Amino acid sequence: MIQQFIFYLFSAMAIATAAMVIISKSPVRAALFLVVTFIASAGLWILLQAEFLGLVLILVYVGAVMTLFLFVVMMLDMDGIELRSGFVQYLPFALIVLSVMLAFIILAVWHTSFGLGHANPSKETAAYNNIALLGSVLYTQYAYPFVLAGALLLLAIIAAISLTFRGTRNAKKQRVEWQVSVRAQDRLYKTSMKNEKRL
Amino acid sequence: MDTIMNLLWIALKILAIVLPLTISVAYLTLAERKVIAYMHSRIGPNRVGFLGLLQPFADVLKLLLKEMVIPSQSNRYLFLAAPVLVLAPALAAWAVIPFSKGLVLANINAGLLYIFMMSSLSVYGVLIAGWASNSKYAMLGALRAAAQTVSYEIAMGFAFVGVLLAAGSMNLQTIVLAQSGNILHWYFLPLLPLFFVYWISGVAETNRHPFDMVEGESEIVAGFHVEYAGAGFALFFLAEYANMILISAVASLLFLGGWLSPFEGIPLLENVFAFVPGLVWFVLKMGFFLFLYIWLRATFPRYRYDQVMRLGWKVLIPITLIWIVVVSFAVKFNIGPWFNQAGV
Amino acid sequence: MYMLANYLPIVIFIGIALLLGAILLVAGFVLSQKKPNAAKLAPYECGFDAMENARLPFDVRFYLVAILFIIFDLETAFLFPWAVVLRHLSWFGVASMGLFLGLLVLGFIYEWKKGALEWE
Repeated sequence: MIQQFIFYLFSAMAIATAAMVIISKSPVRAALFLVVTFIASAGLWILLQAEFLGLVLILVYVGAVMTLFLFVVMMLDMDGIELRSGFVQYLPFALIVLSVMLAFIILAVWHTSFGLGHANPSKETAAYNNIALLGSVLYTQYAYPFVLAGALLLLAIIAAISLTFRGTRNAKKQRVEWQVSVRAQDRLYKTSMKNEKRL
Repeated sequence: MDTIMNLLWIALKILAIVLPLTISVAYLTLAERKVIAYMHSRIGPNRVGFLGLLQPFADVLKLLLKEMVIPSQSNRYLFLAAPVLVLAPALAAWAVIPFSKGLVLANINAGLLYIFMMSSLSVYGVLIAGWASNSKYAMLGALRAAAQTVSYEIAMGFAFVGVLLAAGSMNLQTIVLAQSGNILHWYFLPLLPLFFVYWISGVAETNRHPFDMVEGESEIVAGFHVEYAGAGFALFFLAEYANMILISAVASLLFLGGWLSPFEGIPLLENVFAFVPGLVWFVLKMGFFLFLYIWLRATFPRYRYDQVMRLGWKVLIPITLIWIVVVSFAVKFNIGPWFNQAGV
Repeated sequence: MYMLANYLPIVIFIGIALLLGAILLVAGFVLSQKKPNAAKLAPYECGFDAMENARLPFDVRFYLVAILFIIFDLETAFLFPWAVVLRHLSWFGVASMGLFLGLLVLGFIYEWKKGALEWE
């Protein structure tokens, strides 16, 4: 019973906040609502006993991706900009995309897989270890897509740097190896002074 | 009826964690002031109550009674929500901490991942606070905080990977039990570089000295919470110290054997100290790390920002990467005395 | 004891933590006096009036750090299950992670040599 309550709570949260992402005028608010949507969907995944995926969804999407979104949205100060200028203009295109996506979803999850009873996996005991099960297939059976993901990440690093990085401009760098290799006698030495007399 | 009793029981258990935690936070602030005072050859607070022991409560009352200023150009709701969003992850992460064998609220198999996730959420409150204040110093502080937390989180995650390799589980209880045997089996020894990396990035994650660029007084006044007064400031304060205690708790669980007795495996002493409950050892280990926090604050000058980023990216991350490779080979070849256990 | 039963306290804990923060905030609001004036409510800027909007565009380097963080965070997410099962994994699984890590170390060396990790 509690499980169902939590399911409806998270589902309502996910739908409501997803709607707010579209409705809200301020981009920062929209981004924050998207964060809540992610957290609610992570809750739903955990309800499906995919604990690793649920937690990683929050870790990666909320903890990393949305931080970047917020960075961008906050600093650009887009609050004053009119965002809905092209609404009518893009409406037909949006409707086409919407109907195509809806058709795909309906084709994929038609009555065979609707209803709460269908999405109800067998109840696992506390010893059930989602992570170990995932790990036992990800690196062997699915090694190829896994390494491909690594290559994609490498590409992302190179792309990010070449897009945003403009090189160091007259930077004053700290050379740590020089600092470490300095000896006391390089900086400080005693000289004997001849003319100094004791007063 | 049964479910309601069950829920009430859980709520009671949560309060049994949160209340001692808040009291620890209160006394940690006092301890910090006292310890730093003695390190500076001062006495520290000694007026309120016997030896100043009531000082934290006076502070709390003062903060609650102070006027809450909501800046005129701020985003009101986000400005008020930010401190709550900082505090909530700092408290909620405690749900999976095992205080002694079997004494844990939520014994989940992904315990370490949960803690890692919660610590990644704390950056939101800071970013929102800085942005909603609509003040330059707050904004700069929030930016610095976000970039810093984010950089050290990677090093911290890699340090966790080393522990996972050695323990073969993400369940915090299993990790502690995998260290049993004697004091030499605690992971601080085989994973020494990762232990240091974890601790340094833990200090940086909580934005404490010497990594407190976030609120560096001489540069950006008080950083992201410059506009906060009264209860809002109190919440940030509470969250910061709760996070410090959390980092200390995780450090003792992962590297110092959690609730395990340090005399385990030593013939005579083991029996002499057998009566001490595990919780006491755990608290003592946490206390050690908390003292280290204060000690660092009293000893080190503040880092410069480019030095912070350099340390995070160019020193800590390469160290962890190398040590992950070393440990994984040690595990794979069952190299004793640490990595030859069967695993879980 | 089902697996999900362990997650119930976590959900309640998060709820209580949010509630506690809100209660403290409201308590502070109710207990404190309120005497606002224009100078008090102005954003702090060393006593001057605020020069301009605080939300300025800033150094692109912060974006770069955030992007690199996403990539390395994903890498940790991939490393976690691998670390847990390493003991039972075949050498093929170890090798695939070696390749994955090798690619990312390559990226790391690239950003290092390119100077993307330098702050000035």
